[in-house]
Amino acid sequence: MALLNPNFAEEMEPFTEDTALACFNCGTCTAICPLIYEHFPRKMIRYIQIGAKDRILENAQELWRCLHCGLCTQTCPREANPGEIILGLKRFVVANWRRS
Amino acid sequence: MYNPKDIIDIIAGNVRKTRNPFGIPKFLVNRWHKGFDMPGKGDAMLFTGLMYQFVPYIEKSTKYLAKYEDTFLGNFIRFAGYIPSYLSGLGLSVITPGDEKKKFNGILQNIAKILKASKVDFFYRPDLDDYSGVLLYDLGDQEGFVKHARYVAGKLKAAGIKKLITVDPHTTYALIVLFPKYVGESFEVKTYFELVNFQSKNGHRHVTLHDPCFYGRYLDLSEVPKKVLTDLNVECVPVRNAGQFTNCCGGPAESISPKLSTEVGDRRLEELNLTGEKIVAMCPICLGNLRKSGADVEDLSTVIAQCLEK
Repeated sequence: MALLNPNFAEEMEPFTEDTALACFNCGTCTAICPLIYEHFPRKMIRYIQIGAKDRILENAQELWRCLHCGLCTQTCPREANPGEIILGLKRFVVANWRRS
Repeated sequence: MYNPKDIIDIIAGNVRKTRNPFGIPKFLVNRWHKGFDMPGKGDAMLFTGLMYQFVPYIEKSTKYLAKYEDTFLGNFIRFAGYIPSYLSGLGLSVITPGDEKKKFNGILQNIAKILKASKVDFFYRPDLDDYSGVLLYDLGDQEGFVKHARYVAGKLKAAGIKKLITVDPHTTYALIVLFPKYVGESFEVKTYFELVNFQSKNGHRHVTLHDPCFYGRYLDLSEVPKKVLTDLNVECVPVRNAGQFTNCCGGPAESISPKLSTEVGDRRLEELNLTGEKIVAMCPICLGNLRKSGADVEDLSTVIAQCLEK
């Protein structure tokens, strides 16, 4: 069972621009992503939206599969900037590692 | 895949202690200008960011990473941080083949020749030419990146440098976008190929130009090298995914997962090979990664410099 943190999007603010809530989960980012890996990056963005912080930390390693190539950001119909969101999550996780 | 924390800790530690991600002393990495007649004063400084110089070391170290990825021995990488950075850097420098170093130094010498032929008023100061720290940014070590970038920008500002000429997309992106945004320091930045200005119709060839993500999407510069080549009578054969929709070479994943990096690189190479013409890259990371996938890749500067010689 996942513990949801409704304030997680706010917690992410120091690490990235506040665009995750603009995403409507269409999956264009996942379709164009050269990783062709499960539901990446859509799944991670969904985790931010619902505040599933634990899920992000549990699956943190996946974030570093991202090549930061920018194709997802280029094609996002909502201009939610998925590439920058993933980079922001990396920063969030690194800061968490350093704190713990 | 390696544990990203282990890799980030090693790279961040090396940058902190030695100002480069491999811990190699700068005088061993940056030798391309030795014995090459370079002006010490001028209007704009050539800033290599040491990326081309790093490629032979990246190739050597990722070969070992690939060997032990997802194996029991791979778990021991976390202890690499206990080895003094300069010591591991020296070791890496010793086992890296000299002819590879020479090859990549040659690319930078070609760039200097191109700038001279284009009558660009430029100079080179090896003491001010540092790694930009962009890998720390890509890996999410924002604090480490900002500290390092502040050091690099501070040195340039203290020396009164205002204009920079860059040679690779990652350093160019760092200087144009990241330094002003996160360090508050701006420079007038141009890539060397934006300054090409000599007449020649000696190209007489067709090439497959691979646009790197940072020039194609982030900096929207893809049309410039294409025009430079066209003017030199080098025809760029259309590539299926190019410009703003170019496909990644896979290089950025090479430190965390060489397997993934090769997988993505193989797919891009397959796409590029469809044209049947020689592949030309303009990014040291793309050049290295496409080579790893088995491609015979030339650097853009080599193609341009060949037009000077004919």
